[in-house]
Amino acid sequence: MGEEKAESYLYKLEAVLEKGRLLTVVVIAQTDERAFSSAENNLLRHTIAPPHIKELSLVEKKPLGRQGVGYVVETSTFA
Amino acid sequence: MAERKQWKWAADPSLNKMEFTKLEKDGLDVIEAIVNIYSKEGFASIESSDMDRFKWAGVYQQRPKDGHFMMRVRIPGGILNSEQARVLANIAEDYGRDLVDVTTRQAVQFHWLTVESLADIFDRLASAGLSSFEACGDCPRQIMGNPLAGIDPHEVLDTRPIVAELEKFFLLNRDFSNLPRKYKISVSANIHNAAHAQINDLAFTPAKKAMAGEEVIGFHVWVGGGLSAKPYLAKQLDVFVRPEEVVKVAAGVTTLFRDFGYRQKRTHARLKFLVADWGPEKFKEQLMELVGELEPGGIDLTSGWNGGYFYGIHEQRQAGLYYAGLSVPVGRMNAGELNELARLADEYGDGTIGTCNTQNVLIRNIPEAKVAAFRNEPMIVKRFKLQPNTFVGYAVSCTGTEYCNLAIVETKERMRSLAHYLDDTVVLETPLRIHMIGCPNSCGQRQIADIGLQGALVKTSNGMVEAFDIYVGGTLEEPQFNRKLNARITVDRLGPFLAQLITLYKADRQEGEPYWRYVERVGLSHIQAQVDAILQPA
Ligand code: HEM
Ligand code: SF4
Repeated sequence: MGEEKAESYLYKLEAVLEKGRLLTVVVIAQTDERAFSSAENNLLRHTIAPPHIKELSLVEKKPLGRQGVGYVVETSTFA
Repeated sequence: MAERKQWKWAADPSLNKMEFTKLEKDGLDVIEAIVNIYSKEGFASIESSDMDRFKWAGVYQQRPKDGHFMMRVRIPGGILNSEQARVLANIAEDYGRDLVDVTTRQAVQFHWLTVESLADIFDRLASAGLSSFEACGDCPRQIMGNPLAGIDPHEVLDTRPIVAELEKFFLLNRDFSNLPRKYKISVSANIHNAAHAQINDLAFTPAKKAMAGEEVIGFHVWVGGGLSAKPYLAKQLDVFVRPEEVVKVAAGVTTLFRDFGYRQKRTHARLKFLVADWGPEKFKEQLMELVGELEPGGIDLTSGWNGGYFYGIHEQRQAGLYYAGLSVPVGRMNAGELNELARLADEYGDGTIGTCNTQNVLIRNIPEAKVAAFRNEPMIVKRFKLQPNTFVGYAVSCTGTEYCNLAIVETKERMRSLAHYLDDTVVLETPLRIHMIGCPNSCGQRQIADIGLQGALVKTSNGMVEAFDIYVGGTLEEPQFNRKLNARITVDRLGPFLAQLITLYKADRQEGEPYWRYVERVGLSHIQAQVDAILQPA
């Protein structure tokens, strides 16, 4: 026994941008705080002009211990 | 170690990784390892492959992963006796930091256990006829039932012997200790669906059928229900099952799940996926191939849903005897309180205690002459109330970040204080069921709540703030899951927000209209408009 093992999680976050645009961001991190900052970094990398993030929320985390852990991200329909 | 089964799926290379772990060594074998090795040599001695198997012993690592465990104890059908309650209280006191939780499937949960204590805990449980085995893991879990079985004026037969038989048949049965995934059974002959049939993998609900000129009381069978991220309501099979056939049919359904259930992906392994693929017709055919011919369905005896609530003092089936439905806010008590409950059960009742899927308890068989004194017991007046305030009385919560590794937010304490706040702020004389969960797994059964609250973390200029998504209109009365509103409410505004939302319902509702029915009548978009108005910056 002793200190907590640093376990990594696969995090799912939701970012609301201007005009109601919603982006789902998936990152690996060891803490909730780091999940947020990684998500922000990924959002920055994803856009040329810095995105105006109106709301950023963490909605799910899954331990990385098992192969195949993942999320389904619902986007738009093309029908 | 018992002889290992040769399972026919063993040759399938596309099995998920956990399946290989289970094939290598049965989950139940971990019990021996815990008793003989791990409880003596400590946490560091635990083989990593065995850590997953701990679930078959009913034990899980709690958060933070620092060597402490949570344990779930089976309370078959939600009925235990005072002696068993005392044993549970003593375990909590000696090893579990004085904490006892009643769960949403009528089990009892401990926290803070160390591996060193487990062998002694198993012994103590066994000495009282209790067990934590297979309370977690890919096996038949705690059997849900009617905590009023045997005394219930609203039941059509006493299900206690049936639950006992099922428990005896499945517990530690190595024919069924390697299922594709967790497996949850519910048995109740209460006509108000006391054991939440539609959200279990296999459920038996009361039915009758005229057979050879005689009316037979038995069961209808539901398969494939479950919540978590992809909730699914169980489907009814067109069969009528006599009481003496329940074990046979349960064995058949479980065999179908074991042999045909999907083992390639754990996320696609619950019985609901097989049922959704086959449909109830094919499922019935396959079942009859295993267990023989079954009668087509009879007449459903279920009418409505009591939500699993039994507050107050009520007449039993037996004249002159009463049961008392008590409130345990969010299911949490300490050892002293559980001991006191045992004393009350002995002194006033027949020593039996019921655990409810609403995280509450009840005391059975109180003679009329003792009812008045019972009402005046300080514990009943102050703590386990007969008539709790509306919101405290109808609040359910999962474990949350306090002990759960998957949680995103704190839940239990928050739900408790939120319920108190609402009781102080809104006067509502009718039940409004609020369920709070800390992540999408939905241990607190968010989907069937009038108002479901699911945790999220929001980044604000002041750092991370806990928040909740709001879902409305869940019920098992006319079974439907609640639906999400477009509103993520940070905890500082959650109380006032809900108070406003509920006040609007109070003003708009028709006489006696429960919240879920109101949601259906006014429509989700109407409620969303109300939410938008509440959230409008002043
Ligand atoms: C350490 C704490 C816990 C952990 C890690 C945990 C984990 C989980 C997971 C992963 C699921 C989803 C299972 C699936 O996908 O089928 C689940 C579901 C569930 N759990 Fe828990 N749980 C915990 C505590 C509890 C407690 C305290 C209760 C009872 C109050 C509970 C009752 C349930 C129920 C009723 C479900 C819904 C199952 C269904 O119908 O699909 N769990 N839990
Ligand atoms: S719902 Fe999620 S947070 Fe709550 S106890 Fe279950 S797994 Fe943990």
